[in-house]
Amino acid sequence: MSEALKKAAIVGVYQSVQARQLNRTPEDLYIEVVKGALQDAGLTIKDVDGIVGANPLQTEGEGRGIPGSVFAEYFGTHMRYAGQGLTATQADAMGMLHAIEAVNTGRAHTVLVATAAARSGFGVPGGDSGQGVSGDQWLSPFGLPRVGYYGIFARRHMHEYGTTSAQLARVAVNDRKHALLNPAAIMHSRGPLTVEDVVNSRMIYDPLHLFDCSPVNQGGGAIVVTTAERARSLKHRPVHVLGFAESYSAVDIFHLPTITSFDGPGGMSGKEAFAMAGVSHSDINVAQISDHFTINPIIELEDLGFCKKGEGGPFVESGAVELGGKMPMNTNGGYLSHSHAGGPGIYDIIELVRQLRGEAGARQVPNARIGLHHGVGATFISAQTAILARD
Amino acid sequence: MTQYQKPLPEPSSLTQPFWDGVKQHKLLVQKCSSCSKLRHTPKPLCPHCLSQEFTWAPLSGQGQLYSYTVMHRSPAPSFDGDLPYVVALVELKEGIRMISNLVHCPLDKVRVGMPVKVVYEDVTKEASIFKFAPA
Repeated sequence: MSEALKKAAIVGVYQSVQARQLNRTPEDLYIEVVKGALQDAGLTIKDVDGIVGANPLQTEGEGRGIPGSVFAEYFGTHMRYAGQGLTATQADAMGMLHAIEAVNTGRAHTVLVATAAARSGFGVPGGDSGQGVSGDQWLSPFGLPRVGYYGIFARRHMHEYGTTSAQLARVAVNDRKHALLNPAAIMHSRGPLTVEDVVNSRMIYDPLHLFDCSPVNQGGGAIVVTTAERARSLKHRPVHVLGFAESYSAVDIFHLPTITSFDGPGGMSGKEAFAMAGVSHSDINVAQISDHFTINPIIELEDLGFCKKGEGGPFVESGAVELGGKMPMNTNGGYLSHSHAGGPGIYDIIELVRQLRGEAGARQVPNARIGLHHGVGATFISAQTAILARD
Repeated sequence: MTQYQKPLPEPSSLTQPFWDGVKQHKLLVQKCSSCSKLRHTPKPLCPHCLSQEFTWAPLSGQGQLYSYTVMHRSPAPSFDGDLPYVVALVELKEGIRMISNLVHCPLDKVRVGMPVKVVYEDVTKEASIFKFAPA
């Protein structure tokens, strides 16, 4: 474990109510999550000298494109650092890594990462949900929304490795099982889901059925990172990031040599994060792995090396990633059953922090010490891995 | 004839020659003048050797279905009448891959790996679209 990386710690997490429709303004939601995460940490706005991520406050009026200045003006404070994570739905989870870097290097003392999506879509100003035609000359004339790429990924994975619809469905079934234990999940009260329910739901992007696809919903979340020294006197047990890495391959799938991997040659970000953290696969007690569609975690588990390439389907079907299995995955219910709002990677980090603090209630993984997040940047071919550990 | 409602390609100066080619029922892609590698979509430099010199080379139009999805949800009202339709990732003989539609093929006959060939649809007086059909 790298001591250098233990100079920073995650000390506060907060998420708003997640729902299909919140009837809130993005500004109001953003202010709520900023205050909420600071309260969880036991810090005040005067402690904050850095932010990461786009904020909805900056969309109002002229000259609002500078997140650091806007944040300072609205919250009556002064900023020393403003950064941005840039991988669509993983922007905020990646933002957390930039916050860690800023604190590690001393560029900032306390950094907030916050997201608020009160409009349908990625929660990025000007972003859309990827479900309509985009004006992209290579996709729009053929009636392909960007998210339709996932049907194409799934079909190829089935062709190369014999992955089945029932195996894909198992990802959604596991997520729902976990969501039933998490009152914050939007599908918490929807009852269990079976493999039959998923494969009999109507087709959307064949071979992906309705329940293979994440809902479009609204919500916000925030994380506070500060120095390990400061963390010692705060309310909660600090959570450190032991290893992290990013990988960028292309924007569109026709530029990739293979479409059954998202994480660069040989699962680049996963390998690098494991090496940096100095831990092995069997050390991971709990994982949050992005699941915009059920095919994603199957490919991501392979990219990460939890199973061989092509064996993601049987691996999920074995029960290994359910609560009670050897590495429970998406214990909050995942994007499929918990929330897919804004940059939903932030909920992955929040869930890991809660698991590592031992605050996950009915869905707690006993004695969880080390957690892993892997996220893919939606339809833009990028990935990131982060390995977190309690103090 | 009813007016064509679907999105038309909106070329940039760099991609205009590709769509001009489609109008003439040709698939033209960039060929690097330095390393001779083909590339698509159009870029101002070769990702293999970084040369900025290129010419436009015609593809055979022959290839195979690398993967596909059958769209059951329409992204815009203008596609409603086509549902369900096939969006194909086609690998051309020359190694270039393109997204398009697979047409003239019953859904139960669509298979990964099936041979396909380009077909052209002159959808308006000004614009043509390339699609693929069973070869």
